[in-house]
Amino acid sequence: MIDHETIGLLLKGINNVTWQSIVMLGVSFVLMYLAIVKDYEPLLLLPIAAGCMLANLPLSPLIADDGMLKLLYNLGVTNELYPLLVFVGIGALTDFGPLLENPRLILIGAAGQFGIFLTLILALLIGFTPNEAASIGIIGAIDGPTSIYVSGLLAPHMLGPITVAAYSYMSLVPIILPPIMKLLTTQKERQIHMAYSSRKISARTRIMFPIVVTVLVGTLVPFATPLIGMLMLGNLMKESGAVERLTKASAAEIANTVTLFLGLAIGSTMVGTDFLKPSTLAILVLGIIAFAVDAGAGILFAKVLNWISGGKVNPLVGAAGISAFPMAARVVQRVAQEEDFENFLLMHAMGANAAGQVASVVAGGVVLALMGAGG
Amino acid sequence: MRRYKLDISDREFVVDVQEIAADRFAVVVGDESYEVTLSSDENLGEATITPGFQAGAAPRVIAVNTAARVTQVPAPAAAATAPAPRKPAAGGGKGTLTAPMPGVILEVSVKPGDQIERGQQVAVLDAMKMHNVIGAPRAGTVAEVYVTDGESVDHGDAIFKYMED
Repeated sequence: MIDHETIGLLLKGINNVTWQSIVMLGVSFVLMYLAIVKDYEPLLLLPIAAGCMLANLPLSPLIADDGMLKLLYNLGVTNELYPLLVFVGIGALTDFGPLLENPRLILIGAAGQFGIFLTLILALLIGFTPNEAASIGIIGAIDGPTSIYVSGLLAPHMLGPITVAAYSYMSLVPIILPPIMKLLTTQKERQIHMAYSSRKISARTRIMFPIVVTVLVGTLVPFATPLIGMLMLGNLMKESGAVERLTKASAAEIANTVTLFLGLAIGSTMVGTDFLKPSTLAILVLGIIAFAVDAGAGILFAKVLNWISGGKVNPLVGAAGISAFPMAARVVQRVAQEEDFENFLLMHAMGANAAGQVASVVAGGVVLALMGAGG
Repeated sequence: MRRYKLDISDREFVVDVQEIAADRFAVVVGDESYEVTLSSDENLGEATITPGFQAGAAPRVIAVNTAARVTQVPAPAAAATAPAPRKPAAGGGKGTLTAPMPGVILEVSVKPGDQIERGQQVAVLDAMKMHNVIGAPRAGTVAEVYVTDGESVDHGDAIFKYMED
């Protein structure tokens, strides 16, 4: 016998479709398109899109209590485990050699974090709470794991849009960065050659670097200890050469597994009723402002260095002071070579970029300290 | 590790070099192993190679086994019969294009005798996992190419040389 109740039970899924869930399914399809067809950070955007799709299907058991996506979220997002494990992998892949060859580049990395604080103020003016504003500002560093770490502690309800913004803009670095670079520099400045000093960095220096940075940063900015500690742990394993298996596992197997878990968990937070709010749009807009100001501050600071050094610093290198390692440095090299095919800024840009990676982590710690949160 | 096969006065030597630190190398010549400390690495441009050429300190060799082993390597008979080094020292000289940064040569696009234009692609250098096109600094004819596909180069290593005009 089929009565109304049975039909209702059978059609429960269809009856629970809401306009928000339909829109969010559309969003997940767009993210999938960007990941698969456009190749925008597919390693993270595809799992995010899948998580978003699975979470927005009607009555999705995956995000119910004990649902798989919920479990993945509780396993490593709320307690910051995933971004920290990703950082071990990034550390194992980052070559700080170019920075050690030219240590003054650390200043450019520091300048590249200015946009974080300007955007923070801007977000406060619009009406975000201080914790939310700080999380939005961090997008400017174009450092995905730091964004997730900081917003996970300060504004977990905004994790979805902030992560999507951070990773989308990271993939758009080759498109967003060049116009900013060209706007703020003259053709003459872009043609400045920088002598490359092939100073050999000893193995001992390379091994000491992650240890010294961890102790130094950890003491100065305790909130940054988890991030810098994991980044430098990965780098120490790489440079020591003593634990090749662990280095390889951190950079490949662990990082890949965590990226899958992280993406699915973040995607599952993008549920229609929470995501489709004006604040999401505001986050995306403020995020790109933060990005542009960060890059601009780096370039302007490099201009100051150029002036002080008597014309020896190409201001384009400043644009690599944002994080987004190593993509930002490659964009710098490409733009410089467009002007003059004999100009090779890559090693300098890589140094500034590695500095930006460290600086964005420190900036994350400073922001957490300012907000009096974290642990 | 790099393996060099040298023919010196019709005797073949196989030399394996492993970099331990920037200035320390483990070197195996035939069956003998040495620990070598590089005390000087000079670019002498296009200075002519002759026996007894004096330019700073010679590399210090510390034999792991016995110092006497070093003398096993016979000195080249005379400058006339000794093979000239194929590759100029780092830095090259006038008319030589050098690598702008360390990396691996992915592709060599020219060969000796080629007429090239300024800006024409000479080689592709993979540095920091980025493919960099190396362009010719001026128009001319290629005299000699010093690199091959897959060869790793250091900053300042010669890539090719122009024909003298």
